[in-house]
Amino acid sequence: MLKINGLISGYGSVQILNGANMKVEAQSIVALLGGNGTGKSTILKACSGLIRSWRGSISFNGEEIQNNPPHKIVEKGLVQVTQGKDVFPAMSVIENLRLGGFVLNSKKKLEDNLQKVFNYFPRLDERKNQLAATLSGGELQMLCIGRGLMSNPKMIMLDEPSAALAPQIVLDIFKNINRIRKDGLTVLVVEQNVRMALLLADYGYVIKDGVIKVEGDSKKLMYDDTVKDSYLGGGGTTANV
Amino acid sequence: MFKTFKFTRKVENILMLLFTAIFLVYISLSPDMNIDSLKGVLIIGVTVGIIYGLVAVGISLIYTGLDVVNFSHGEFFMIGAFTGLTVYNFLVDGELIYAIFPEAYGVVGYVIGLFFAFVLMGLFGVLIERVFLRPLTKKGGGYTVAGMGIIICGFGLSVILQNVAYLIWNPTAHPFHADLGLPINIAGITLPMTYLWMLVTGFVVAGALYFFLNKTKMGLGVRAVAFSKDISNLVGINVPLYISIIFGIACALAGIAGTLVGPTYQVVVYMGYIILLKAFASAVVGGFGSLPGAIVGGFTVGLFETACSFFISGSHKDAYAFLLMVVVLLIKPTGFFGVQVKMKA
Repeated sequence: MLKINGLISGYGSVQILNGANMKVEAQSIVALLGGNGTGKSTILKACSGLIRSWRGSISFNGEEIQNNPPHKIVEKGLVQVTQGKDVFPAMSVIENLRLGGFVLNSKKKLEDNLQKVFNYFPRLDERKNQLAATLSGGELQMLCIGRGLMSNPKMIMLDEPSAALAPQIVLDIFKNINRIRKDGLTVLVVEQNVRMALLLADYGYVIKDGVIKVEGDSKKLMYDDTVKDSYLGGGGTTANV
Repeated sequence: MFKTFKFTRKVENILMLLFTAIFLVYISLSPDMNIDSLKGVLIIGVTVGIIYGLVAVGISLIYTGLDVVNFSHGEFFMIGAFTGLTVYNFLVDGELIYAIFPEAYGVVGYVIGLFFAFVLMGLFGVLIERVFLRPLTKKGGGYTVAGMGIIICGFGLSVILQNVAYLIWNPTAHPFHADLGLPINIAGITLPMTYLWMLVTGFVVAGALYFFLNKTKMGLGVRAVAFSKDISNLVGINVPLYISIIFGIACALAGIAGTLVGPTYQVVVYMGYIILLKAFASAVVGGFGSLPGAIVGGFTVGLFETACSFFISGSHKDAYAFLLMVVVLLIKPTGFFGVQVKMKA
């Protein structure tokens, strides 16, 4: 579904990605793992068009999408959910969700998707008229994922959905990500919470210094000591849940 | 050495009330004080205020959308006034309008003038943004990083637009004889029709803007882009297009405000300068970046200015707006609708 070939990119004149290669199969969950500053988020930003790809190609459904304007990429069905729970705090939950469906043209589709999101996250239904600024961390993350689902995407890229959340909420969110996949979406999840991400995913990539160093079945990666030691920082205490 | 101290919100409000009370007592002791003059000051203050408000909303919109203060906004006001005047004169000089509307030709011509000022200034704003401001952001970082260059560019544009207007319409003051009918009597005050037009059109435009921003899809997009360009990109909003739309709307508002003011005063090449500063003061008083704040700030500045020039001294009319701005900045630096920077839009 998504194919990244020799991607080179960065911010300003600083090169972060040094030729990353990745492949995400349709209707799978793929985890992209790595320490701080290794280029995980950069890959996602290049895919969603927020930063320019200097060289290499990104193809989505057989179509080259590198350096397309971001809104075109969303229209094609590739949506990124950013790290850090970026919402519009001065707008209500329902307005935030409606913005997620901005590329949809029919009102009916918008309402259908709204019901679908409320079905995944009933908490958002309860709070739909509240300002987004008043939500808790977990609810904000639900809102971000829900907003990503509003545009009927084929594939969703999640940037650290578990960051700064209580374990119980992380579990809840990961269960929902699994449900989303079962309903036919493809998921690429970037995580620092290695154990959880590998439990969820089918396939995993480990990135270091802007290139993919290790890849493989998630079950295999989980017990791979070289992965733990070399790329995820230190011994058996890697998994932080 | 210096202790920095900050008023709490409560103290700020008390001080603001105190200032208002002192001001009200002071003007009520004035020998000119009577019920008729008070009514006049109220009506004229609100009328002037809505004009300041419309221009200030434009400045605030551009500030929220583009993260820069547009210092050439007064020129859009001025060119808007000239556009309205030119369209009106063109219609009234012709025969057609008398044939179709023999009774109400002035009103019809004026409405068409307002419409053209609105639309043409909107398009002109989009053009200016695309041709002069957008290229400055090409070095990366978008509008947020290109800020200082755009601010300087705004000053330059202001000079250039003034000179272009100078070439087209020459530097003399143009009277705008809009034939809108006889003055009417409201609550014992004789009010020229031009004031009524300002008042009504101003409120209608402000209401329409509110409706547009809060009830339409495009308005939702404008608010989203105003808050964060990155998130807007990710939800599939065409951000460069929406930045142009924001600039266009702001300039269209300035244009219509110019045509509204035209018949009351005169249309001159230099009229944009002082309105820019006063609208800026209004935006600061209301809370910079807040749209309801800009309208409320416009009313406050308009009323304060009119009351001061009537009851205290008319010869310093232009200074009062800035006096109020300084007072508000000292006491309540966030302005009336001061919101957290992150909560703008």
